[in-house]
Amino acid sequence: MSEAVHEFTLEPLDWQPYVRPVKLDEATTEQLEALKVTPSNTKVSNYVLVLANEAEMLAERTPLFNDIMYSEGGLSRGGREIGALAASFVNRCIYCASVHANRYIQLEKRPEVVDEIYRRGLDADLPDFEQALFNFGADLTAHPDNVGVYQFYHLREIGLDDLEILDLIHSIAIFGWANRLMHTLGEPHLKA
Amino acid sequence: MTVSTKVDVIDAVLGLDSSSPVHALRERRAKLKHFTQTSYEAAFTPSDPGNFSFAMRAALAARMAGLWRSAELQAHYKELLEERGSTPGLQAIADPGVVPEGDERLATILAHVDLVTLKPREATRANIEALYAVGLDDRDIVTLAGLIAFVNYQVLVVAGVKMLRDN
Repeated sequence: MSEAVHEFTLEPLDWQPYVRPVKLDEATTEQLEALKVTPSNTKVSNYVLVLANEAEMLAERTPLFNDIMYSEGGLSRGGREIGALAASFVNRCIYCASVHANRYIQLEKRPEVVDEIYRRGLDADLPDFEQALFNFGADLTAHPDNVGVYQFYHLREIGLDDLEILDLIHSIAIFGWANRLMHTLGEPHLKA
Repeated sequence: MTVSTKVDVIDAVLGLDSSSPVHALRERRAKLKHFTQTSYEAAFTPSDPGNFSFAMRAALAARMAGLWRSAELQAHYKELLEERGSTPGLQAIADPGVVPEGDERLATILAHVDLVTLKPREATRANIEALYAVGLDDRDIVTLAGLIAFVNYQVLVVAGVKMLRDN
């Protein structure tokens, strides 16, 4: 087996669980429904198979995650990925960071933003727009009990409206959720 | 029942009624608002609670909200715990300052709750092995992880929406 990866990387990763995934051929009807398994879609990741141990929660979480990251209007898709990245850097979810850094690059065609975050982490020096989103994300993730009003006003200064700010809050918060599953229930390995 | 799990919890704890602009703003994201609420219901009133009773779930959530000093959510979960039948043991679990002694299974669960809430970055494989070692099974571990993850999501949403409400 390949070695586990403990440093941030943009290389393609596999996630290997510490907890036994549900076996598809032994899954209950409720688990299959939560997994959205259909005859034409039988490819399910280990991560989702681990979560299927608690199918009732998984069934609500999947559509919630999708709406937060992909809904129409409001904050740009790339902006939401910055929220996801900020949370994943604070929480050190190496797998989540890699997936969403690569998705940001794919969407925005601006690898230099991701390169700077990977080089300097939470001290990244970014263009104004990305900086405001990243700093608010890091701040909310690290201490939701004491979020800087300064960081919040910075979002208004760069021109975000209330809906965009609400979208950013959710993209950060859903990674407060995802990081706590992905980083604690398994670990990334370099793809063979 | 005084605390309905059908009323939107985040609106309720932040006092957002239909006259509030932030209430109207949240309605513009009706779908995610809906699934945030149904996720809460799946976490706190699941059809099959397994080895985590409804009261235990409320106590753990009160503890996590307390760890983050999220006063609104802490009050909500304490009330939910009362409603579900609190005991001195559950009260101790709900208090973030208390580490109950003499019960290794419970102590290991609470150590995990505290770590993954406040410092998820420090969690390792050893933490999951410790949960197996005190008798939790696969489902118990995923249930616990799901509860921790959901409450932390909710703490972040409440903190963020509160900034929108107040600024």
